[in-house]
Amino acid sequence: MINNKSVKISIFFVCVALGFMISTQFKITRDTKKSSLNYQRLEDLSERLKQSEREKKELANQVKNLEEVNSGEVLLAEIQRLKLYAALTPVTGPGVMISLSDSKLTSKPGENQNLYLIHDDDLLKVINELRAAGAEAIAINDQRLIGTSEIRCAGPTVSVNNSRFAPPYVIRAIGDPQTLDAALKMRGGVVETLKFWGINASTKIEEKIVIPAFKGRFAFEYAKQPTTEGSV
Amino acid sequence: MIVYLIAGLSLGILLGVTTPITIPQEYTKYLSVALLASLDSVFGGIRATLEHKYNNHVFISGFFVNALLAAGLSLIGEILGIDLATVALIAFGLRIFQNLAIIRRDIIGK
Repeated sequence: MINNKSVKISIFFVCVALGFMISTQFKITRDTKKSSLNYQRLEDLSERLKQSEREKKELANQVKNLEEVNSGEVLLAEIQRLKLYAALTPVTGPGVMISLSDSKLTSKPGENQNLYLIHDDDLLKVINELRAAGAEAIAINDQRLIGTSEIRCAGPTVSVNNSRFAPPYVIRAIGDPQTLDAALKMRGGVVETLKFWGINASTKIEEKIVIPAFKGRFAFEYAKQPTTEGSV
Repeated sequence: MIVYLIAGLSLGILLGVTTPITIPQEYTKYLSVALLASLDSVFGGIRATLEHKYNNHVFISGFFVNALLAAGLSLIGEILGIDLATVALIAFGLRIFQNLAIIRRDIIGK
């Protein structure tokens, strides 16, 4: 009976149905696992990771591009800024202007005539006062003062940046005009002392002062940059 | 005989894997109940064969009707709020194990 043809065919179809059911069930079970929370979370996180990595790559590329494009401009801006700090560019801004000229008084007999003249000391005092009051740029008769500028007596003249000047001296300073003015004019201050000797010192607040650039040369013969930054 | 069995099973599995048929999540338990009923019929058939009581009509009808009935009963149970699917699983599971035990004894007894 079991070897009957119809039996065989029917068993064949039963097996087909059984196999179909089993595989479908298997597929569904697999899909269910896939749709479970942990699996979804895993997929989600890996997707996010991928996206973050893509973004990171993109941003790195952007940084590279920007560096390539802008390095010239950035350097130029930096150079411009450093030039400003090093007094290599003319500057303009509000500030004060001080004119100093020798005393018109005649010295009394027996008095030292030098007291009635402007000396490097007087100029230095004025400059010092201006710097203390926060002046950002100072010039004496168009000579910009920098870190290495000297103010020194040279016979009847004063040498500034190796240029000699005779009175009257005009000192220009850029900074807060009120502060600079007040610093000079304060009681017992430098202007008052100078006036005592009849030296003509007049200050004027100006909205716009132009101070020229330093025109000299920098030549460091002895000072060198240290090779390692830590040794400073 | 064995050739028909294996060929049928292979074809069925192939069909199931290749066709994109899936069953919605809420109907999967009917399929599992139906599958268990079918397996029960298969083991019943094997047992009947070993005991030389095999009847093709009984086997075929048992295979399909049991599966459909199990699924249908589970559905009714779902509607009525009775968990008949689990009951069917337990019943068919028990019968499968019984059948397996009998098959084992039949084989050894030969």
